[in-house]
Amino acid sequence: MIRLYDYVLSASCYKIRLMAALLCVKLEHEAVDFHPGRAHKSAAFAQLNPAGTLPVLVDGDLILTESTAMLVYLAQLSGRDWLGPCDPKSAAQVQHWLAFSGRLAASLGMARLHDMLLYEGDIDAWRAQGHAALRELEAALSERRFAGGVWLVGDAPSIADIACFPNVALSQDGGVSLDAYPSVRLWTRAIRALDRFVEMPGIHRLHELRPAPEVA
Amino acid sequence: MIAPEVMNEWYPVAMAAQICAGQRRVTQLLGQPITVHVQDGVIVVTGQAGPLHVTEAFGHVWACPGTPAHPLFPIPEALETGRRLVDVGVVRVKCSPLRAVENFLDIAHFPFVHTDVLGAEPHTEVNRYEVQIREDSDEVWATKVTFYQPQAAKSAEGGIVTQYMYRVPAPTAAVLYKTCPARPDAWDVIGIFVQPLSEELCDVWPWMALYDDATPQAELIAFQQMIFLQDRSILENQIPRLLPLDPGMEIPTQADLTSIAYRRWLKKRGLTYGAQMVAA
Amino acid sequence: MTQRWTATGLSQDLPKAVAMAGHWQGHDLAVWRSASGRLQAWNDRCPHRGMRLSHGFVRGETLACIYHGWVYGADGGCKHIPAHPALTPPATIRVAAFACVEQDGVIWVAPAETVGAPVALRGLQPLRSISLTCDVVAVRLAEPALSGDDVLRGLVQIGGQACEVCLLVQHGASGLTLHALCAVGADRIAASRWLEDLRRRAERKGAA
Ligand SMILES: N[C@H](CCC(=O)N[C@@H](CS)C(=O)NCC(=O)O)C(=O)O
Ligand code: FES
Ligand SMILES: [Fe+2]
Repeated sequence: MIRLYDYVLSASCYKIRLMAALLCVKLEHEAVDFHPGRAHKSAAFAQLNPAGTLPVLVDGDLILTESTAMLVYLAQLSGRDWLGPCDPKSAAQVQHWLAFSGRLAASLGMARLHDMLLYEGDIDAWRAQGHAALRELEAALSERRFAGGVWLVGDAPSIADIACFPNVALSQDGGVSLDAYPSVRLWTRAIRALDRFVEMPGIHRLHELRPAPEVA
Repeated sequence: MIAPEVMNEWYPVAMAAQICAGQRRVTQLLGQPITVHVQDGVIVVTGQAGPLHVTEAFGHVWACPGTPAHPLFPIPEALETGRRLVDVGVVRVKCSPLRAVENFLDIAHFPFVHTDVLGAEPHTEVNRYEVQIREDSDEVWATKVTFYQPQAAKSAEGGIVTQYMYRVPAPTAAVLYKTCPARPDAWDVIGIFVQPLSEELCDVWPWMALYDDATPQAELIAFQQMIFLQDRSILENQIPRLLPLDPGMEIPTQADLTSIAYRRWLKKRGLTYGAQMVAA
Repeated sequence: MTQRWTATGLSQDLPKAVAMAGHWQGHDLAVWRSASGRLQAWNDRCPHRGMRLSHGFVRGETLACIYHGWVYGADGGCKHIPAHPALTPPATIRVAAFACVEQDGVIWVAPAETVGAPVALRGLQPLRSISLTCDVVAVRLAEPALSGDDVLRGLVQIGGQACEVCLLVQHGASGLTLHALCAVGADRIAASRWLEDLRRRAERKGAA
């Protein structure tokens, strides 16, 4: 079984939990005491990932420490539907958004860790970089909408969407509102409405997807 | 000027284990800068005007910026053998410390905020329960609280009707007792200790004393952090940020008896730091 | 009194059964569309414990609060309290409503008693809403072809062609939001890129 070294509040770990849920891949979860224990910085954990970051995905002798690589691995194992179209242009665009998700983690993700778990750093710079990234995402998604599209690449959701979704949907946790980004908001709703979607703390269930219970 | 009633209370300011491990915590209490650190083998809390009263309990460092009106409240269960004491770590929330406590006392939000864990539609009904302000200890207590829960604890298997008792022993601390899935004759104990950084910003320290030998520590912490972080996005979006003590400002129902008693108790005792007195 | 109407979004950004945050001159609003398409703008505060209703969820013709699930009907009255399923909520539990109309693909809000209609925008199609950190003066400096204060209009060059544009101005705490429309038939991707470029130039002027 594939094993995920996991932390419940980590946006990067959530990428993998969400992807696995959408693909119906069962993972074995190993909770790591990231906060307050900082177990990911322990000597024992360094054997697994010298960079001291989460998530880590282990399948036999394969050890992955980059969440975008994990998305590719899970999607490849599961029939390739989530890899995006394979024409040169689309394949390059998927790579663009996988890399872009790193920028989201380095800006919105850090703002969130600052505001929530007291990480030290330049909060104004993180928020400003977060807004800059959201503007790019908003422009791209607006153009997709003008062309009748919903997803970042192609006609179906892909690893590109899953890579970018967590830090965007959690941006409020770091004091960055999505009010000014209507196309981004609709895109996050589309992801939250997917079959088998799973939430994480900070992203509420879309209760409207189920009918109101009968009043007795 | 902060009222003496507020200054003379105890507030959590750090996790004891982290300070004992040599960390120095530079933080704030009631809007004033403080530092928590170890000096000559003892934990000290220093403010601008010198040292504060300090005590250590339930895994945390507590400080009183005035003259303590009373000793820190006890949690007798913390001393029982066989319980695992779990420090969950700090989470910062942009809300009034009093709103953070009030949310902890509330069960009606479980189906909507902790969906499929602490509650689920259609099991939304809150049955009548009992609330009192205990004269001897001057604490708010809610008893005979029951609620249907799909996954009441990390150790729970399937849905159960959970019994609860709630207790507010200090203005910014609350303790709950709930059905222990592993030991039907005992209660699990969960607390939240809230450090008022300012009237609209707080550091929250969840803490647990559980009968659970099986679940790894990291999973117990993850479960409680999951629950509290689901609340955080609510707490940061309540308007106003301050807790209204004017009864006309918000509309409670019978399910909110604990919150009503908590607000009255705060008002009666003049514990209004983080509260809004008149409708804005 | 048409100037009391403020554009708070574009129709295309608020599909059926969705709620979003809106604003009228510093008042926070929950703007939502029911399953049948009916549009409403309410005070963004649940009467129960103050939670923002714009975080709520739409079921059928009702908006429910995300905190304790209180359900509000089309008239703003509370219809159901999940903690007390058998209770008929008192008629006094009510969310204050603003006037809200949709015209030319734009969502307009104003205080409840407002009469009259917002300014008509014939021959234009909705483009995008964008936020800027500068003021209107900087926008006009960046694009001298635009004139007006709350409604900026003009003929600008988009992809080598003259194109009629209209930018509806909404003032916020941290800057401006522009709800942009362009001539029917214009290439919206090109117009969107023009708008991005306008923002960069205006913010540079605003910062100078
Ligand atoms: N390798 C990156 C790391 C992601 C990341 O930054 N993870 C955070 C937790 S959300 C972490 O482990 N931070 C600890 C650190 O950077 O020291 C990935 O998989 O995307
Ligand atoms: S605050 Fe809205 S239902 Fe309680
Ligand atoms: Fe909660």
